[in-house]
Amino acid sequence: MASLSTTSLSFKASSIKSTRISQVLRKPSSFQSISFGRFQSSKSLRLQISCAAKPETVQKVSDIVKEQLALSADTALTAESKFSALGADSLDTVEIVMALEEKFNISVEEADAQNITTIQEAADLIEDLVQKKPAA
Amino acid sequence: MAAPFTLRKIGVPPNSANLTEARRRVFDFFRAACRSIPTIMDIYNLQDVVAPSQLRFAISSQIRNNAHVTDPKVIDLLLFKGMEELTDIVDHAKQRHHIIGQYVVGEGLVQNTGSKDQGKSDFLKNFYTSNYF
Repeated sequence: MASLSTTSLSFKASSIKSTRISQVLRKPSSFQSISFGRFQSSKSLRLQISCAAKPETVQKVSDIVKEQLALSADTALTAESKFSALGADSLDTVEIVMALEEKFNISVEEADAQNITTIQEAADLIEDLVQKKPAA
Repeated sequence: MAAPFTLRKIGVPPNSANLTEARRRVFDFFRAACRSIPTIMDIYNLQDVVAPSQLRFAISSQIRNNAHVTDPKVIDLLLFKGMEELTDIVDHAKQRHHIIGQYVVGEGLVQNTGSKDQGKSDFLKNFYTSNYF
């Protein structure tokens, strides 16, 4: 049991390290600013698209959420609506993330996936992954 | 294009220590299964028959079927059987009609449609477990 917990801890540590390293290597990317609030990035002077996700991304995410949770077509979905408020349990959230992975052709890590609770966060994460992807 | 996902066959891991870890394993299993869906559709030529979202729903409904379980060891065993099934499917050890019959059409095999004993009767439960109660 103790060894299990230490391995899971060390996995987390290495993933944090890798994001720090990647930050140092690349020009400071917008990755860190996503988790600490979208307001920071809009003040940045870099020639990068601002962190807020594009409206069409948010719209696509809302469509997938509606289809997954079988909501009627006219339920109002704001960017800040939480998945749990819409009646999704944790398995539904994972399924939504999977559907988004398939739709946008990205690969979401487990650590990132745990932080997604609202539609806006999902859209931001997708934007970020789509931006990072063509560089690979 | 996201890097293609390959199902790595690990040996049997030790039991989950608690419900949280078992939960995490369930989600990991679900993610592995969903990421194998493109491979499965390719192997069995299911492109015209079913959409990936339907397969995802089939997998999640099977998981939800057992959502009431609270014992981590039982969860581990269910995950083991699920992983075994997934490995068989990905290894092309099954055939197309198995996949279509079990996961695409309606509820799947008839024997799985009965709801598990959800605590309808204490008497029956005790009766099933032993003679003396």
